[in-house]
Order: sequence, then C-alpha cells, then structure tokens
Amino acid sequence: MARQPMDLLQGTLDVLILRTLTWGPMHGYAVTRWIRERTDGTLDIEDAPLYKALHRLEHAGAVSAEWGVSENNRRARYYKLTARGRQQLREEESAWRRYAAAVFRVLEPA
Amino acid sequence: MRRLFQFTRRSRGRIRADVDDELRFHIEARTEALVAAGADPATARERAVREFGDVEDARRYLNDLDRHTESARRRRDYMGEFRQDLVYALRTLRSAPAFTVTAIATLALGIGANTAIFSVVDGVLLRPLPFPHPGQLVRVWSANQTANALQSGVSNLDLDDWRAQKRNVADVGGWFYQQDGGSGIDLTGAGEPERLGAVFFTPGFFGALGMVPEAGRLPREDEMVRGGNDKVVVLSHRFWVRQFGAQRAAVNTTITLNGAPYQVVGVMPASFLFPAEPVDVYVPYSTIPDDAIPHLRMVRVLEAVARVKDGKTIADAQAELDVIAKRLAAQYPENAVYDGVTIAPLRDAITGKVETGLYVLLGAVAFVLLMACVNVASLLLARGAVREREIAIRAALGAGRGRIVRQLLTESMVLSLAGGVMGVAIAKVGVTLLLKLAAGQLPRATEVRLDAPVLAFALGLSVLTGLLFGLVPALRVSGTPLQGTLKEGGRGTVGGGQRLRNALVIAEVALAVVLVVGAGLMTRSFVALMNVDPGFRPDHLVAVNFTISTARQHNYQLYYHTVIDRVRTLPGVLSAGAVKNAPFRGSGEPHGFVPPGMALGPNDQPPTAVFMHISDGYFRTIGATMREGREFTAGENDHTPITVVVNETLAKRYFPAGNAVGSVLNQGQDFAPQIVGVVNDIHQTSMDEPVRPTVYVNNMQNSRVKTTLVVRTRADPLTMARQIREAIWSIDKDQTITSIFTFDDVVGEALARPRLLTVLLGMFGVVGLLLGALGIYGLLAYLVNQRQREIGVRIALGANTANVLRMIVGRGVGLAGAGVLIGLAGAYATTRFLRGVLFGVAPTDPLTFGGVAALLVAVAALASWLPARRAAGVDPVVALRYD
Repeated sequence: MARQPMDLLQGTLDVLILRTLTWGPMHGYAVTRWIRERTDGTLDIEDAPLYKALHRLEHAGAVSAEWGVSENNRRARYYKLTARGRQQLREEESAWRRYAAAVFRVLEPA
Repeated sequence: MRRLFQFTRRSRGRIRADVDDELRFHIEARTEALVAAGADPATARERAVREFGDVEDARRYLNDLDRHTESARRRRDYMGEFRQDLVYALRTLRSAPAFTVTAIATLALGIGANTAIFSVVDGVLLRPLPFPHPGQLVRVWSANQTANALQSGVSNLDLDDWRAQKRNVADVGGWFYQQDGGSGIDLTGAGEPERLGAVFFTPGFFGALGMVPEAGRLPREDEMVRGGNDKVVVLSHRFWVRQFGAQRAAVNTTITLNGAPYQVVGVMPASFLFPAEPVDVYVPYSTIPDDAIPHLRMVRVLEAVARVKDGKTIADAQAELDVIAKRLAAQYPENAVYDGVTIAPLRDAITGKVETGLYVLLGAVAFVLLMACVNVASLLLARGAVREREIAIRAALGAGRGRIVRQLLTESMVLSLAGGVMGVAIAKVGVTLLLKLAAGQLPRATEVRLDAPVLAFALGLSVLTGLLFGLVPALRVSGTPLQGTLKEGGRGTVGGGQRLRNALVIAEVALAVVLVVGAGLMTRSFVALMNVDPGFRPDHLVAVNFTISTARQHNYQLYYHTVIDRVRTLPGVLSAGAVKNAPFRGSGEPHGFVPPGMALGPNDQPPTAVFMHISDGYFRTIGATMREGREFTAGENDHTPITVVVNETLAKRYFPAGNAVGSVLNQGQDFAPQIVGVVNDIHQTSMDEPVRPTVYVNNMQNSRVKTTLVVRTRADPLTMARQIREAIWSIDKDQTITSIFTFDDVVGEALARPRLLTVLLGMFGVVGLLLGALGIYGLLAYLVNQRQREIGVRIALGANTANVLRMIVGRGVGLAGAGVLIGLAGAYATTRFLRGVLFGVAPTDPLTFGGVAALLVAVAALASWLPARRAAGVDPVVALRYD
C-alpha cells in the first residue's frame, strides 16, 4: 500500500463501530460507509477488518445481528447495539477522551 | 412466562450461507453506489473488492468466529433454560409436598439400600486386596487326587523344596494359624499372662505377600530356620499399639513368649490384617517344637500363599509346582499320593464364601430400586394427568416437545438427586448396621466404607434412576394432543395413560413376586437349617478354651484330669467334659483307618475319618445320645486298653450289620482300638454339611494340648465362667485362658451368615410387598377418583354396592394376577442364582412359588379393597353434579 496513514490502535475500530450504531440499526455496508465518510479518509480502513470487528462485537454480545431488508429491497444483515454494547461504548469513549486529552496536554505548548 | 427460545439456532451451513450473503450484499451495494456515481460496472466492482481487502480471509475468519458465537450462545441458552427449568421444578415440587416427600423417600430408600450393599460389595469383592500387585497372589494347597483331598495342607518340608526349585513363582511361603487361640503363644513378664493370637510363618511368607514392615525389619532367612537365631517376632500393628503404645522403641526390645525371650524385629502396618484380624504376633514356624507339631513331610498343617513372577500366569505357577510336587512324590514315599497342587487366586480364597450371598443381595436391592422407580413413575403419570393442562398451555405458547421433556426430566432429576443425597445418608447408617449384623461373618469388613467410588456409584445411580422413572411419563405427558386437553376443561383424560399405568402396576407386582420368592426361599432354607439337629443340646453349656503348656508334658494327663474333676465339684455344675475343638470352633484331624474285613491292596488308600479328642463324660455333658455301647469312663487311661467311640454315620457306613461295638478299627502301626460305643451324629464343622464319619479318641490315651472344657450348668452358663476360671487357676495360676463362650453363641454364629442373608432378603421382600401394595392402591384410588361420574351413573342405573366392589377389586386382582404370572416366570429364571446359598430347598420350590403367588393376590385384593369401598360409597347425586 502506497500511503501509510495512522496505525489503528487496538480497539479503535470497536469504539468507532459502537458509536456509529448509536444512530440506530445498520447493516455492515452502511457502517463501513458511515465510518469512511466521518473519518474522511484520514484513517485508511479496509472493509474486511470492519466486518471482523462487527462479528467480534457480536460474539462479545455488544451488538446483536438480525436479517432485515435494505433500503433497496435486498436482504441485509442488520446490527443493533445491545445494552452491553452501550455500556462498552461509554467505557471506551471515556477512556479515549482521557487518552486523547493526555496526548494533547503533551503536544500543546504550555 | 419468559420466551423459551431467544434465538433461532443456526447450523454450520446456515452460518456459511449467512456470511456469504452478507459479503455479497456489501460488494454489490458498493458496486451499485459507484456505478450510480458514474463508474462503469467492471471498474466499480473491482474497486469495491479492492476497498474491501482480503475477501477470502475475511470469509474464513467470519465463519470461524460465527461458529464460536453460535455454540457459546447455545451453551448460554441451555444454561439459562436449565436454570429456568430448575426454578420451575423446585416451585412445582414445593407446591405438591405430599407427592414430593413420597417420591424422595421412596427413591432415598432404594438408592440408600443399593449404595449400602454396593459399598460392601466394593470393599469386600471389588477392591483389590491390600497387597502390592494382588493379582499375582495365589493360595496353594497340596493335592491328593487319590483321596479327592485337593485342598490339603502343605508340609513345611515340601514348602522348602518348592521354594528352592521355583522359577515361575516369585516366592512362596506358608503359615500356621488357627482362630480362637488355636495357634496362640503365651506372653508373660509383661503384666498378666496373656494368650496371644499368633501366626507361625515359614520363610517366603512375607516375601510372597510383598509386605514391608512399618517399623523395624522382617526376619532374615537365617532367623526363620531351625538352629538359626529364630527367637524373633514381628508384631501386628494393633498389638504394637496395645502393648507398646505405638512406640518405635519397641523394635529390638525383647518379650517373653512361651517362657523364652524373643527379639522384636519389626512391626507390620495397620493395613496388614493377614491371615486374620485378631493376630497379635508373627513368629517363625521353626520355633514350634517337634513334640507340638513334628516337622515331617507327612505333617501337612500349613496354609500357603505364593506370588507369581512378573509376566508369568497363574497357570505357569500351577504347572511348575505340579512338576515339583510330582518330583517330590517320586522321591518320598509319604508324598506318593500328593503328586500335585491346587491353586486359586488369593482373592477367591478369601472372599469366595460370601461372594454369592453378596451378589444375591445386590441383585435384590436392584429389584427394590426398580420397584421404587416404577412407583415414582406411576406417581408422576398420575400427576401428569393433572398437569396435562399446564403442559398443553406451555406447548401452545411455543415450547417444543423436546423442550417440555427436558423440563419434566429436570423435575425427575431434582427428585432423584434429592433421593440420592438422602440415600447416601441412609446408606451411611445402613452400612454401620450391616457391618454390626455381619460381625465376624464378612471377610475384609474393615475395608468397607463410603468412599469416592461408592459416592460416584450413588450419583450415577441417582441420574440413571431419574432418567428411568422420568422418561416414560415425560414422553407420555408431552405427547398429549393439545386441543383435546384444553377443551376437556381440566378434568384430564383417562384413555391412553391408563394402559401405561396398568403396565407399571403389573411390572411392580412382577418385581415384587421375584423379591418375595427370593425372600421366601431364603426363609425356608433358614428354617430347614434351624431344624437340623446339631446332635447336642446347646443350652446351659459354657466352654472354656485353653492350651496346656508343653512344659507340662510329664504330668499332662494328670493336670488335664485334675482340672476337669475340680470343675465337676463346683456347685451349679451338672457335668463337665472336654474336647479339643468345640463344635463349629474347629474340626478334628483326618486320618485313615481300616475297618475289619476290608482288604486293601498295596496302592489302595484307606477310608478316612475325622478323629476327635475328647474326655470321659463329654457326650453326657453336651447332651449327645449313645446309640449303642458306652462313652469313655474316668478309669480309662494310658494303662487300660485303647478304646474309641464312633459316630452313627461311620457305624452305618462301615458296620451295616450293626456290629460296630466290639469291633476293632485297624489304624496301622499296631494301633487297633476297640469300638466301645456309637454316638449320634454331631455337627462339628457346619450345620449345612453332612456329618462325616468320626472317631472319638480318649484324650487320656492320645493327648492334645489344646483343650476346650465344656461345662453344663444349672443356671445361666456365663455366670459360672468366673468360678470355672478360678478353679483352673487354683491348680495352675499361670494357665492362660484363650476364650470363654457358650454353646448357644457357637450355634448362633454357625447360623449367623444364613440368618443375615435371610433377614436382609426378608426385609427387601417386605419392602417389595409394600411397594407393590402401594402401587395397586395408588392406581385404583386414582381410578376411582377419575371415574366417580361413571360409577355414579352405574349406581344411579341400579348397580349395587357388591357390583361396584367386585368391579374395582376385580380390576386390582386382575392386574396383580398378570403381574404374578410374569413375576413367577421371572423368579423361575433368576432364583437359580440362589442355589449356592440355599439349604434343603430347591430354587424352584413349588410351595414357595405357590405361596408367594397367593400372598401377592391377597395383598392386591386388600390394597384394592380400600378404594373399592370408597367407590361403593359414591353418592350418585353428588357425583353427577360434580362438573
């Protein structure tokens, strides 16, 4: 790969996905589009790891999956945040904020 | 009610298809989006795939992951459902306390009885003997084919030769031990003189058994032979604790045995209870002087044990010892007929006698448990009828049949496990009682305990039981068609379930028949045994057993008779005499003899008889009857002609003309005593064996040191024991007393094992009868309840009380009849396993079979009577208004 933008920190995908799903149930394609648009290409994420992360979250019980019908009338697998997922998002989000704040404190001139 | 199924289950194929679908959807959706944005389709698709990354890798990864997710979910669902079922089961059971308590108690009894008996079977029969590699241990006997004496004792000289020539045998050793102090040794110089139980062992004894001492060492080879430093002793653990307070310092001290100093060289561990529990000391056989037991090849008094070498079989050992025995037979004339050996696994030799009895008991308790299962199954069925509505509702709410069966089985499991827990408590008490009842009758009784294998057995049994009694009702109840039940309005259905309940009652009666037939046979056998005339009157007879010291040899006979005469003068003593071994406390000595007129060829073996050493007045004292002639008199001794008394069996067999008295028995070696009397047959070894031809020898003419003084008293015989003992001590204050017992006890002990078996089988029979009666009663009571309306209609239409009674009782008796027929067939097939423990009654005794059949039908009639009475009392008005 020519461009090598920022490495994704462990768990970053999870928090992004969980956050995305707070908007409501979505199928995998919608999740990947949403994240791509939001990060504006800064984080160069392939779709495969996103799907892997989605299924991992399903395994962990943070999201649940159900087949539904997409906007253009096709069968799609919809993911929904579970109570446990919301809890996980809250925890990871605050951890991220603390982490980012700490990094910024170092980076910003005093 | 919560949702029973939270998710539909996904198969592997389903998961694969789902992953494929999901990925395809993604690629297609992306491609479409790009096309919509103006790209041409081929480029768009290529870009969608590139953006996705490694599709194949993702596919594999998602497949694997989803499979894990699915199985984790299933586990979680299962546990969740199980918890639900459990809570629900507990609630249901709590709401029906009468049913729950009955079921648990029935199961607890069944499982408890099985666990108790199994723990005994496990300890006595199944657990390996407490020796290293016990499978290699065998008992060895000298075999005399000619006289069909295949399990003869072994001579210590033969043993030495076996040992010197062995190759397939790792080691072989012998021992001399007789219970009740028969092989005792006197301990003096340490408090009161005491008769110790002693085992006299030959070299190879400890080696073959493979035991190492707990403290000290085993005797060296040179300490176990004549002329060596053989005054050494090994202590049993219990004697070490008793005498030395388990002090290690006991080793290398000296104790005085039979008046001589013996060095304590070692102490055996507590687990070493061989050949019997009450052994105090192990002393080299070489210390027994020739005047007590001559060390001759023809003296075969030792029991022998051998260990087969690693990699060799018992057959190898047998073949080798046979060859050696044959060689010795050719070499020594006195060995000519002992030209082989008999070998049996040590385990069989120790537990063989009780094996059949224990397995019979285990079989009987298995029947009891089966009956308990059938009983609880019918209870569950009856409840199932009541619960059909509840179950139909659950089914209507979406629970599948499998799910309902699982829920019902959870209920059964709760019952059976609760029964199992209580059963173990019952077993704990039961085993204690059982061992108390069986005291002295059970080899290896000390090894019986409720340990992990036994608890595992109880657990397994509980689970099995739960499945057994739960599955049929669960399948039946869950299979009830929906609509009928819901429409029925809660009265439950009578139809199909009834047939199953009938079948259960028939099964129960059949099982009860088998149990009761077993108990009946055992009882009849025991009665037959009780009716055996022992040949003496055991009441008011006390025996004092002692051994006259070999130091008294010069005035032995004087001492012997002085003691008897002194006891005879005691007030309260009616008569007194002596015998070497009291009945059932040891046998006589087998010897050959030649009756007059019998011509023996040079290679013929003479017939053998049991020779018993007795005093004058012995027969009168024990209450035996002289059929002819007289018994020994006080005047007969060394200086008068040698005379003998024979028993009826011998007289009839060898003097059919009735001319025994006055004839001469030729015993060879110038020993040709005259028969002066014929006494009635006296059972000496056991009640259930025929009395052997016996010759009674006057102890004043041919002496033995072991003496059992037998005293007939006017009052309670045991109260005289003290005076008798003091009378003996007034003659010799150092005389040790081995044991004191009454003849009533002796006879009781001789019957103890069959009595125990009879009592236990009888108990199981009664339980079987009760359970059977309960089954019939329960079924009919239920039936009467269900059919109140129908009965009401019948009565309203003119049926009288007698009709109704006949109908209900007839029903019960009919079912019982079917059960009895099946049960009799079952009993006919199974009672042959009792053959080994029955006496005087055939395993297919028609009287027992007929009696049991009649008994069960009668019990069935009785059990039907109560519900029938209720049915007859139905008020048609009330019954018809019921709904």
